[in-house]
Amino acid sequence: MTSACEATTRALPGAAVIELSGEVDGSAATVLTAAYEQATGQADARTVVLDFAAVDYINSTGIALIVSVLARARAERRKVVASGLSPHYREIFDITRLSDFIELFPDLDRAVSQLTPPAA
Amino acid sequence: MTQVARPAPRRPRRLDTFTLASEPGNERLALARVAGTVKDLGLPDKQLERLKTAVAEATMNAIEHGNGNRPELPVEIEVTQHGNEVVVAITDQGGEAHPSETSPEEPDLARKLEGGQSPRGWGLFLIRNMVDAMDVTTDGQRHTIWLTMRTGGAAHDERV
Repeated sequence: MTSACEATTRALPGAAVIELSGEVDGSAATVLTAAYEQATGQADARTVVLDFAAVDYINSTGIALIVSVLARARAERRKVVASGLSPHYREIFDITRLSDFIELFPDLDRAVSQLTPPAA
Repeated sequence: MTQVARPAPRRPRRLDTFTLASEPGNERLALARVAGTVKDLGLPDKQLERLKTAVAEATMNAIEHGNGNRPELPVEIEVTQHGNEVVVAITDQGGEAHPSETSPEEPDLARKLEGGQSPRGWGLFLIRNMVDAMDVTTDGQRHTIWLTMRTGGAAHDERV
């Protein structure tokens, strides 16, 4: 019934996307750290998009991992945004104030379209 | 003289009781079983999701802080209905308050991001914010956290 966290990354102009799936709990630390490092390996990844659309569970340890990613990104002067959170986890992002520091988008398409406007 | 019938007092109705081994990850079993137990009690989806998170976090604390991740020590979970309230009691064998329960420090995200607090420490904070009431009792041998969620209806309670 449990599913390990997995992450895929892809680069966009000026941004990197980390698409997460499964469970974001303590066991996700290695996966999330590796994905962040891979995603930000590109020099111009000024924004990191965390997509939670395929995540079915986030616990307090997972919240702590997200805090760590956010702290690291801020230290590196990168912006973090999130997409695909269920209403319940949006509420948790509000309660913990993560949404004060991470802009939330309903889905990945809207997050990406906001980040990379069409060329004039 | 007219006699007016008064409603009979309600007594708690036990819906489920079970134990889990104190192994990391078993909080997911607790979450799923409690969700199945209360599914017909009329909890709105939002309340159900909140209760699931609270149960998972409280069970994690019982496994880790109460029973020290020792699989042979059980976490006991009881689900009861009191009128229009669901109460989930989660008991470990630690007998003392968990460290987070005695810490006066609330998690502060700004401080965490500056390195002034550990990134961790969200469990009890989440529990408090997810349920209508949270209580803790200890007797030196057992520690129980009581999670109360109002269902908004009393269709399933038992009257005596």
